[in-house]
Amino acid sequence: MPYLFVAPNMFIFLTFIIWPAIRGFQISFYDSIDGRTFTPVGAGNYRAIFGDPTVAEVAKNTAIYVIFYVIISTVLSIAFALIVNEQQFAKGFFRAILFLPVMLSPVVVGLIWNDVLDRKVGPLNSLLEALGGGSPGWLIEPKLGMIAVIFVGVWVHLGFYSIILLAGLQGIDRSLLEAAAMDGATRPQIIRTIILPLLKPTTLVILILATIHGFQSFDFIYTLTGGGPFGATTLIVQYIYDRAFQTPIQYGLGSAAGVVLFMIIFAFTALNFLLGKKRQAI
Amino acid sequence: MSKLQERASANKWSSMSGKKPPSVGSILRTTFLLVMTFVILAPVIWFVLSSFKDPTDLSARPPKIFPTTWAFSNYTEAFQMYNYMRYFTNSVIVTVVATVLTLLINSMAAYAFAKYNFRGRDGLFVLTLAMIMIPLQVILIPIYLVVSSLGLVNTYWGMIIPAAATPTGVFIIRQYMLTIPDELIEAARIDGAGEFRIFARIVLPLCRPALAVVAIFSILWRWNDFLWPLLIAQKEELYTLPVALALLNGQLVVPYNIVLAMSVMSIIPVLFMFVFMQRQIVQGIAQTGIK
Repeated sequence: MPYLFVAPNMFIFLTFIIWPAIRGFQISFYDSIDGRTFTPVGAGNYRAIFGDPTVAEVAKNTAIYVIFYVIISTVLSIAFALIVNEQQFAKGFFRAILFLPVMLSPVVVGLIWNDVLDRKVGPLNSLLEALGGGSPGWLIEPKLGMIAVIFVGVWVHLGFYSIILLAGLQGIDRSLLEAAAMDGATRPQIIRTIILPLLKPTTLVILILATIHGFQSFDFIYTLTGGGPFGATTLIVQYIYDRAFQTPIQYGLGSAAGVVLFMIIFAFTALNFLLGKKRQAI
Repeated sequence: MSKLQERASANKWSSMSGKKPPSVGSILRTTFLLVMTFVILAPVIWFVLSSFKDPTDLSARPPKIFPTTWAFSNYTEAFQMYNYMRYFTNSVIVTVVATVLTLLINSMAAYAFAKYNFRGRDGLFVLTLAMIMIPLQVILIPIYLVVSSLGLVNTYWGMIIPAAATPTGVFIIRQYMLTIPDELIEAARIDGAGEFRIFARIVLPLCRPALAVVAIFSILWRWNDFLWPLLIAQKEELYTLPVALALLNGQLVVPYNIVLAMSVMSIIPVLFMFVFMQRQIVQGIAQTGIK
């Protein structure tokens, strides 16, 4: 009887996750442009991934995006969590606002910022022009495109990380903070010497989650820059998608990129799990 | 957050910032939060206002904040001249059916893991949780090949079934079911109720809070999901809203003013959930770390 209860879930996992995962690993050693005929190429796809200049460009973009996205998200979400937590006036309102972008469809978020950052008719540039700041081509120049994508990535997810940190803050023993206050510690001192150290486990979770999310980013970028300008914001997931749906179609190469992405995500998930175990032990 | 919790967390800092006149710190804090509010709300409000502009207003330099004439026609044309209703219906079908299916099969699996002893239980449970490590992005190409060899490309079932089994759903419901006393199930068995009947009539109704959390997350995720329906729905009549908005905008098939109106309409259901279910969503995230 219990097997009947788990059967539907297990059937789906087997058919749509485990089997494709095995197939993907297989295909990564072949070359295919139609998904029907496969030519074995040995480790050729992996060699291409670590040698091909296009892939190197994608890897560089992904690394830059993930590094800045993770650092900025973590620092800002700690700052916002602390601020919202101490806020008394309209606390619920500010928390709701911070959380709003998390609910929006990433596709629409991309469209929103595409509109706002438009070089000619976007409100940001008209504001900048009024202030005498010129009108930068946010979505036209490669470097600015990357900055825009990082900024919007942080904008979308900040509320999500802040909520996890806020929960961590609620878990801190009040008596500790009150004792410190009674001993005459100032608030910055309390934050630096008590709150931040106690928040370290939660911060680690945020770092790892943000890294995993960063590597998976795709949807809002699709409508914000479409991976451009000149491929400057094409990250690994879009690269994999393109290998199946844009010329040149290369299922093997895309699958190999998927295997590499899996190993990255696996490493960080395992790290998260191990740290979680350690946390429970303490 | 309930009134009581609200008060408790407000009291938290009372010894430091109690009933004194607003301190420099609190002014700084509020200013900071007001800037944040502006950075978050201004683009959204700008976007909503843009959706009421006609093409002339949209290309005006410098851009106008308010439309010169409110072009409600953007909205009516989305229905009359373009297929908004089709995309909306597709999104509703996929979201509703997928959520019902997810609740059913996830709670079934959760029940087996929580209330039965059987060979391989722990192994299968670990295997279920391990599925978190293989996100769609990683197996994009092979899963597309598998799904198309099964003839599921360009079908509703293709959009619904493959992602209906979720490790987090199973986990959340299982944790909740562990709190249901075994005696209750034993008693029903002695009364002669069948196993599935016990599950459907006794256990499921007791799990309503956990099911609600899973349902809310499933609805939000399915409504906003892009990559999976993008793979499966390659015919326009199957586009869900996110796919339609992304592709129609990219291919310039639908004028930009109409895309704006469609986008705004597509976020209205989510905003309703945001207003009425914020507490459950926030708690769900805080507890599981998953969106």
